[in-house]
Amino acid sequence: MASVSIASVNKSFGSHPVIKDVSVEIADGEFVILVGPSGCGKSTLLRIIAGLETINSGTLAIGDRRVNDVEPKDRDIAMVFQNYALYPHMTVAANMAFSLVQRGVAKAEVERHVHEAAAILEIEPLLSRYPKQLSGGQRQRVAMGRAIVRNPKVFLFDEPLSNLDAKLRVQMRGEIKALHHRLATTMIYVTHDQIEAMTMADRIVVLRDGKVEQIGSPLDLYDHPVNLFVAGFLGSNGMAFFRGNYRDGQFVSSDGLKLPFATRGDLEGRDVVCGVRPDDFILTDDGVDATVDVLEPTGSETQMLARWGSQKFTSLFRGRLTAPPGSSVRLGIAPGRAHVFDAESGLRLDGQPPCHA
Amino acid sequence: MAQDHPLPSISPDVRRSWWTPARRDHFIGYLFILPQITGLVVFVLVPLALMAWYSLNEWNVLAGTFSFVGLGNYEKLATDPALPGVLWASACFSVGLVLFNLSLALLLAVLLNQKLAGTVVFRTIFFSPVVVSLVAWAIVWRFLLQQDGGINAVLRMLSIDGPNWLRGPNTAMVSVIVVQVVKNVGLNMVLFLAALQNVPQELYEAARVDGASRWTQFFRITVPLISPTVLLTSIITVAGSLQVFAQIAVLTEGGPGTSTTVLVYYLYQQAFQFHFFGYGASLAMLLLLIVGALTYLQWSLRKAWVYDND
Ligand SMILES: Nc1ncnc2c1ncn2[C@@H]1O[C@H](COP(=O)(O)OP(=O)(O)OP(=O)(O)O)[C@@H](O)[C@H]1O
Ligand SMILES: [Mg+2]
Repeated sequence: MASVSIASVNKSFGSHPVIKDVSVEIADGEFVILVGPSGCGKSTLLRIIAGLETINSGTLAIGDRRVNDVEPKDRDIAMVFQNYALYPHMTVAANMAFSLVQRGVAKAEVERHVHEAAAILEIEPLLSRYPKQLSGGQRQRVAMGRAIVRNPKVFLFDEPLSNLDAKLRVQMRGEIKALHHRLATTMIYVTHDQIEAMTMADRIVVLRDGKVEQIGSPLDLYDHPVNLFVAGFLGSNGMAFFRGNYRDGQFVSSDGLKLPFATRGDLEGRDVVCGVRPDDFILTDDGVDATVDVLEPTGSETQMLARWGSQKFTSLFRGRLTAPPGSSVRLGIAPGRAHVFDAESGLRLDGQPPCHA
Repeated sequence: MAQDHPLPSISPDVRRSWWTPARRDHFIGYLFILPQITGLVVFVLVPLALMAWYSLNEWNVLAGTFSFVGLGNYEKLATDPALPGVLWASACFSVGLVLFNLSLALLLAVLLNQKLAGTVVFRTIFFSPVVVSLVAWAIVWRFLLQQDGGINAVLRMLSIDGPNWLRGPNTAMVSVIVVQVVKNVGLNMVLFLAALQNVPQELYEAARVDGASRWTQFFRITVPLISPTVLLTSIITVAGSLQVFAQIAVLTEGGPGTSTTVLVYYLYQQAFQFHFFGYGASLAMLLLLIVGALTYLQWSLRKAWVYDND
């Protein structure tokens, strides 16, 4: 087990900067997820930690050791690749044993480790098969088995679930979490799936365009996104955004509609974007009339697509609701649950203290 | 309108017609392969059958005699005192050629598979002899390898006194092998390059993380994964090496002595210089047998060492 310290790391491919001054401190035993849109540099950062890419500047340390110039094999890490990268010409057992054999571990010892790992992942019956004889989920498990036999200090995962179907993904999500509990080893996990990030991580690192946008616990990021990007990226139903500005302490949308956001004297005249998560809308007589476009009942919840003026948004309510399309509903916003961002920089404008309602 | 049938458009007549869609598909299929089949029959099967027939006859073109001798030619073949030497020369040539060709082709492919500047130029250079006329290639090399040829001129600049390459009993064999390898190595190189590029890069990365050295990566990952191509190239190269003729005819004419008289060259001498057509035909049957047996052997051994992705 070991901490991982990434300090001011830069990486360019040719003249194209891909990782820009990234710093992340990962504690021993932590489960950290790197998340961000495609091409933002998640894989590159993970491969830098693995030692598969060199860095142009900055420091990378695993435990107390600076590893900038250390070969992957000497970093005491294990990596699970997106396409599993199982050796197709070796059996499952040989795949899992490969790294131990390379390290000159005695044969009996190798077998013991392979069987232990196979038992944890419940793949013992597959040991004599070849990768092509396995299902996607089984391959996934073997790839993890190959990583855990070595008992590394740090596990690296690059979108390990992206090739699985939705149901298996949910199951494997749970299994990887359980594995983390069991092994209590530092894990760094790349995904572009924000649900995976929210449900699995101790801490999330949101990357965009090679830069760290925000680091924090899932709920921290959910409740206090530092900017519009993070606000829009996390959360299963997209956050509703309204453009406008503050006049006389009141938020007025770009249509000239007074919307029920908390008054903010400090933002007078400022162009802002106000954000609300769908489940933070409330039905209240103090609210503002919204026009209903579509109602989507799912049984326990009702999702409503509606409009304030020309600005469309999604809202989500517990229980059932009846409102024919075209009718209007009075909507307000749960106190303290609105997010206000500067329209130009996209940065959060926090006037009031954070509220953990 | 009377409707006797639930599906009136399919009358019993149509249904019983022999010109069914399945038959039509068969017919069209055969039509497509007809040109290929015709070629195979006219240029391969008929000559093969004729040769088998000739090998059972004594045929002297000059004397105009043609008489059935049964297995006479094969008895002659079994007792021909020159034949062991010929087979030995063939074996030396084939083994040397295959080993040298495949290892050089693989080495070049690995080198040219690196992401370095100029690899495209070098790929082209190494491949270009493949498309050069065989006889022209051999004639140029005969001049280069003469006692006072280009090779020895270069060696003299390095103060080395080169041998008469094509006239020394050992250097002659080595020379024809090298000339042939340089001519054809590009083909195997291209096949190996294609195979190397099919090995997923991720496997090497996984192996690096797993702690495999460059050597281990090559022997434990690259070689097994390109083994189907190694099999293919070795079959092509073995079969091709046994059929070598023009190079020998141009470079050494089988000499010095009979040191480079390989099977096809011996066959040519028997049939076209000494006019023993029947005996030549039986030598051709022997060649067919050897090529067939070696190919079958390689193919049946593949299970043991070729990684099979299907
Ligand atoms: N070997 C390389 N050479 C040049 N550019 C590269 C290389 N690898 C990655 N890049 C570039 O670096 C950027 C980040 O790539 P990276 O693979 O890290 O993205 P990612 O966040 O993992 O995306 P995805 O979610 O699609 O996997 C991309 O713009 C990509 O084109
Ligand atoms: Mg990626």
